[in-house]
Amino acid sequence: MTAPPTTKAPVPEARTPFYRNVKVLAWAFQVTVFFVVLAFLLWLWSNYLTNTANSGIPTNFDFLSNPASFAIPGAEFDSNESVRNAYVIGLMNTIRISIVGIILATILGTLIGIGRLSKNWIVRKLSTVYVEAIRNTPLLVIMTFTFLGVVLQVMPTIEEAWNLGFIIVSNRGIGVPWYSEVSGAALFAVVALAFVGWWAVAKWRHGVSERTGELARVGLYGGLTFLLIWIVGWWLIGPTFTLPMIDGRQLEGGIRIDPSYFSVLIALVIYTASQIAEIVRGSIQAVPVGQGEAASALALSGFQRMSLIVLPQAMRIAIPPLGNQYLNLIKNSSLGAAFAYFELTNVTQITVGNGSPAVPAFFLALVFYVALSFITSAFVNLANRRFKLVER
Amino acid sequence: MTVTATPQSPASERKPGAGYWLKKNLFRTRLDSVISVVFGALSVYLLVRVFLFVFVNGRWEIIRVNLKLLLVGRWPSEEMTVLAVAIIVMGLWGGVIAGLIAGRQRLAGTSTAAGMNAAERVSDLVRRFGLIFATILLLLLLTSTAGPWLTMLLALVAALVGYWLGRVAGLRKWGALANWVGVLLLAGIPIGVFLYTTAATPLAEWEGFFFNLTSAAAGIILSFPIGVVLALSRRSKLPLLKSASIAYIEVVRGSPLFVLLLLANVSLEFFVPAALAPSKVVRAIVTFTIFSAAYVAEIVRGGLQSVPNGQSEAAKALGLSAYKQTSLIVLPQALRNVIPAQIGQFIALFKDTTLAGVALGILDLLNGAGAITQQPDFRGQGLIIEALVFVAFLFWVGSFTMSRESQRLERKLGVGTR
Amino acid sequence: MTDTNPEVFADATAVGGDVMIELIGVDKFFGSFQALRDINLKIARQEVVVVIGPSGSGKSTAIRCINRLEEHDAGRIIVDGIELSEDVKNIQEIRRETGMVFQQFNLFPHLSVIDNVTLAPRQVRRMPKGEAEDWGMELLTRVKIPEQASKYPGQLSGGQQQRVAIARSLAMKPKVMLFDEPTSALDPEMIGEVLDSMKDLAKEGMTMIVVTHEMGFAREVADRVVFMADGQIVEVGTPEHFFYDPQEDRTKLFLSQIL
Repeated sequence: MTAPPTTKAPVPEARTPFYRNVKVLAWAFQVTVFFVVLAFLLWLWSNYLTNTANSGIPTNFDFLSNPASFAIPGAEFDSNESVRNAYVIGLMNTIRISIVGIILATILGTLIGIGRLSKNWIVRKLSTVYVEAIRNTPLLVIMTFTFLGVVLQVMPTIEEAWNLGFIIVSNRGIGVPWYSEVSGAALFAVVALAFVGWWAVAKWRHGVSERTGELARVGLYGGLTFLLIWIVGWWLIGPTFTLPMIDGRQLEGGIRIDPSYFSVLIALVIYTASQIAEIVRGSIQAVPVGQGEAASALALSGFQRMSLIVLPQAMRIAIPPLGNQYLNLIKNSSLGAAFAYFELTNVTQITVGNGSPAVPAFFLALVFYVALSFITSAFVNLANRRFKLVER
Repeated sequence: MTVTATPQSPASERKPGAGYWLKKNLFRTRLDSVISVVFGALSVYLLVRVFLFVFVNGRWEIIRVNLKLLLVGRWPSEEMTVLAVAIIVMGLWGGVIAGLIAGRQRLAGTSTAAGMNAAERVSDLVRRFGLIFATILLLLLLTSTAGPWLTMLLALVAALVGYWLGRVAGLRKWGALANWVGVLLLAGIPIGVFLYTTAATPLAEWEGFFFNLTSAAAGIILSFPIGVVLALSRRSKLPLLKSASIAYIEVVRGSPLFVLLLLANVSLEFFVPAALAPSKVVRAIVTFTIFSAAYVAEIVRGGLQSVPNGQSEAAKALGLSAYKQTSLIVLPQALRNVIPAQIGQFIALFKDTTLAGVALGILDLLNGAGAITQQPDFRGQGLIIEALVFVAFLFWVGSFTMSRESQRLERKLGVGTR
Repeated sequence: MTDTNPEVFADATAVGGDVMIELIGVDKFFGSFQALRDINLKIARQEVVVVIGPSGSGKSTAIRCINRLEEHDAGRIIVDGIELSEDVKNIQEIRRETGMVFQQFNLFPHLSVIDNVTLAPRQVRRMPKGEAEDWGMELLTRVKIPEQASKYPGQLSGGQQQRVAIARSLAMKPKVMLFDEPTSALDPEMIGEVLDSMKDLAKEGMTMIVVTHEMGFAREVADRVVFMADGQIVEVGTPEHFFYDPQEDRTKLFLSQIL
């Protein structure tokens, strides 16, 4: 056995001087950066306060109680209503166009995305042309096109409106039949009930199919149930429908689809659909080829292969970028302000033009937009988690 | 009984004819055939309409007359030479950069051009940049003076010379001092051109398509360092830095750019000492910078995540300080990985510059197009369509070319194939 | 002889006897999971210690604590008389004295081979470029790949990359070389060339701690073999003791699974 080793006497556990301590240095660094940034922001804020004080502009939210001094067509809002109510209407309009836009854009985008992968050469080429043409054009240009080029030029004036009996198209709006004298909520409830019926029938048919091996035919049974409940329900409620008519220079009766809303919506849908098409295409292509091959080897039909194997996996991949596009659509709805659609940005802009203080007014609008973003992101994350593949 | 098969050329020699292609691609099933016929007729109709519009019926006089206004706004005529010089110098600069990259690629053995003969090289370039050249040619054909032709020709020559210089430089390895001098020169030229041009025509008067291009470039360049800092902060474990950067990124990304521009239009002057009243162009660029930084931050963050942890561990084990680990090892790899995404961000910003026209009243290309239709000679004739088509076309060409280059880069870097 | 008593196996069996690295009562936690339990080990100058054990036994964690890639939660680590603490000066000095070779090589892909090797000497020891490159070429010759100097890591095979990694760590003239499963990511035909470089290093008298599954290397080159399982040192001894007369049941179980 060799002699016990001589150790180089280790330095007794000395106290690390604080200026060399890793942890202290890390904190010192971030605190310094933080304070520099904070100082800069405070400087900006103090500038703001001095300058607005000098110009006599208030920095609070009192303006919300002021009368709006402008009217919003299409809503029951006259110039005496408070600015606060104007904001509410603007927000509702933003949400309205966003939801409709998201639904339509998803449908159109998915169709075109699948079209890009079609075996038919013409369909493939047309889809590609659509996507490449629209994706690379600024949204504002597209919206200007739909607004000026289509609405003001293509749509006829009220005197020469296209009257298709129950739909009237003019540049003052598109009139469609609408209900009256009954509660819209009741009608809506019936439709909701119809969806529930569809779901219940679907579950029943799946049960039957599992037990007996019969084809479930959910589409057939569910669809019929849906229609049945809807028609019977509405017949029982007995709403009257008013048809649109032209009364002098106005559209009366029915409900009027505002041309601004229409053109902004169309532009948003066209543009976002092109982005969604690329996402759909990319996510279908990202599903490994072997998946489809395995499905074919198991003798699944083309439709089954798509709906049972490929699309579910593609959907998982598509959810995050799709969510991103939905956020973009919500933010892009703000462009409606340039085309007389009374969404949130337009309302904010007008009320600032009428004398409300700019920073608080826009701050409020931004708060709403950021909140909408967060809510939408939360939904997307929920969907993402729900559809995640289970892994080790 | 013997059956003699009629002699046919072996299957491998028979190429599928046009009939086969039609059947496979257009008429596979009955439904397919119907779709083909319907959409086919639709496409033909649209093509004919478009062709007629562009070449026969279109009243392009309005564009021809107003070309200068659309491209550079109300740039003072006596300062046009300044603009021409700026374009030529930037052409030289662009050529040098392209040449440097080509030279370095050849050095590292990653050059795709090296494997091509002259004909392939030409066809490759035509495919990639042909559209841009054709567009510039088209614009030149619409002008009435010789000045633009001369400028473009000189710019082309300068770019080629620059490319040659850059390649020669890129193929050699230089010492540290030479490297620093080179970087300073390359960074300095655009700054110099900028100062030179603003001395002649202040920033506030940069209008037209020129505004769209330069404000997007300025926005991306200025937002880049901010975005990198934000990305590093977001990834750091230091809670103060991390939460501050997350707050900035999420709030800015949740805000529409249009709203920010409107806000900047009415209130930016309140945040700076009263003496500096920022012009509209400055407001636009500041807003673009603040907006873009958040998106660049997310892109760079993705790039940082794509660099394997082992890289910083190896750097640590070698004794490199935290600062050197990041700046020498992690960042260079991260930034290289996100070049395609960065280009995508530039394209998006480029298209969004049109919002500044509406929000701030800057006379950019789109706004200008609207304005010229109100001129006494042209109003009331519905020429807005021609004007809009022209605007859409210019944006489309720029955006489409850049996005194709970015896809090509992505394929080359193999980023998407992980 | 096995004992968790530090004095017993602290006896260096290799030449020198001067203690290079000392781990005293080292614990390491990842959250609530204890990766290292009361690790006690002394490693003498010029000694080659091979650490073996099943995956998850903590062997990589242990050597990563030595150059502060992981932070130990209890106990002391002393390298060449320098205590590893929160003092950034100590940490940097220890990192300069230790070199590490990783399982995944971790070469810098954007730098050429010679730049990979000369980066640290130039940046940390402030060596002038010419001198660094000469030194770098000398090292590349030692690992037998001088002709690859101007190539990029992506153009090299796995075995070549790992040898560049060895040269890169040697460039800082470390006193200790730490190897974290250096051949586990290599194709079988390339393992030999890397092990040869490591054997050359051992012959030249470098202090080495090698975490590996290569038992042949352990038998040939190691002065001592350390067996770890479940975060603890189970048995330590010379290769002869280890492979022909293991004492602990755990050791016997592991050896029967791999030999």
